[in-house]
Order: sequence, then structure tokens, then C-alpha cells
Amino acid sequence: VTHDLEFTRLIDATPEEVFDAFTDPQGQEAFYGQDDPGWIVESHCDLRVGGVWTVDFGPSRHELYRHRHVFQVIDRPRRLVLASTETRLDGSSFHTTLEFRFEAQDGKTLMTMARGFPTVELRDEHTRGLPNAFDRLERIVGRQRPSD
Amino acid sequence: VHYTAPLDRTFFALSDPTRRRILELLGHGPATISELAEPFGLTLNGVKKHVAVLEDAELVTTEKVGRARECRLGPAELAEAAQWIAQYRRAWEGRLDRFANHVEQRRRR
Repeated sequence: VTHDLEFTRLIDATPEEVFDAFTDPQGQEAFYGQDDPGWIVESHCDLRVGGVWTVDFGPSRHELYRHRHVFQVIDRPRRLVLASTETRLDGSSFHTTLEFRFEAQDGKTLMTMARGFPTVELRDEHTRGLPNAFDRLERIVGRQRPSD
Repeated sequence: VHYTAPLDRTFFALSDPTRRRILELLGHGPATISELAEPFGLTLNGVKKHVAVLEDAELVTTEKVGRARECRLGPAELAEAAQWIAQYRRAWEGRLDRFANHVEQRRRR
């Protein structure tokens, strides 16, 4: 699987604790929550391979984003793979693959969120070791700006 | 912000290394199809196909100039995609931060 974006956090808990928190309603609410007053998170999770986890979240009833994840791999407490569709306020959507890894590290858990493109092209590109699309796009934009 | 091309189309266009190199070349200024074909050793038809995908995602615009077709960047679309990428990164970073705090607070209780 090709991942073009990865974020990690070292969490002071065991992989089992982190995994279980991530798959329970409170943890999912924390994940999608925000401190803004009135922020809405509605999460419905059917934790099984092929099961669907939908999350509607946003600042108000009239401004809700939707993430729809289908569980592809559930390997407690190590790994979750989700086929995801992120829908924005304008109705446009974005399909991607999300992988969450939970690795024990010095008594804590290194949690990794990796985003991948489900295209063969990107997978092939990855094997050639080319830089990822986002970084290159940002460089292109950066180069372009001075002449705007 | 007005989104003219679906992001799926944008990122599909950007998923190919040749297309990204075409964008990099066009970042230095407009070029014709044959000028783009030369550095890649591609056929004109091969480049045309890549340019068509970029054009579909509105990352590139083309214009017939004499007998040649000139290509240039669609700057608004790149800026829009870059803005979206920055927001996307911030959103996921924030989610991981909040979740990590939640787990650690719960553990201390």
C-alpha cells in the first residue's frame, strides 16, 4: 500500500488501550471533536470487516462534514485499514485509504495515521521511490507564487 | 472558495509522475506540446493524453497558437489544491492531538 501522508503521535498508553479507545464512541467523538461551542459529532460505528463507520461533524446542523469509512482490516491492537470517503460542505467528495497503526514503543504507543491513494499509478510510483504528490505540488505552487 | 474541479480529479491528475513533471516544467512558463514531449522522450500523442488529464482537472489550460498548442498552468486550481492540502493536514494533526489527549486523560482517571 502506498501512503503519501503520515502523521504519528506517541501516546502514553498500551496499544490495546489506544486501539480500544479509537474504536469506542467516546474516543471517536474525541477524534472528530473540537472545543468550539456547539460543535457536533455524530458517530455510528459497526466494527467488523465490511462494517461501516460514519461520522458527521461540524460547527452546526447546517454545516456538517461526513466521513464514511468501511473497515477493510481489523487487527486488534495493531492495525486498522479503512476505505474512506470524505464529503465536504459543497457536496464534493474525496476517496482514499486510511491506515491506523498502533505500535508499542518504550511502554507507550506510537500511533500512525497513514493516508493512501487507491490508484495503481501511485503504487507503481512509490516503488520507484519518487517523492509524494503533495510535497511536489506544494513546491510547484511555491515556485509559482512569486510571479503571480 | 469556489471549487471548479472535483478534488478526486485533481489528485488523480497529480498521481502520475510524468504529469507532475509537466506541471513543474510549466511552472517556468508556457510550453507547446512538442516542447513538453522532448524532455520526456514521449510521443506527441502520449503528452497530449497527459495534458488532457491535467486540463480536465483544470490544472492546465491550452490554447492553439498558430499550428502549435500552447499549454500553461491554471494557477487558481493549484492554489486551491494547495490550500485544501494545508487544511487537510491541519485537520488530521488536530484529530490525532485531541485523541491522544483523550486517551491519556482517560488513563489517568
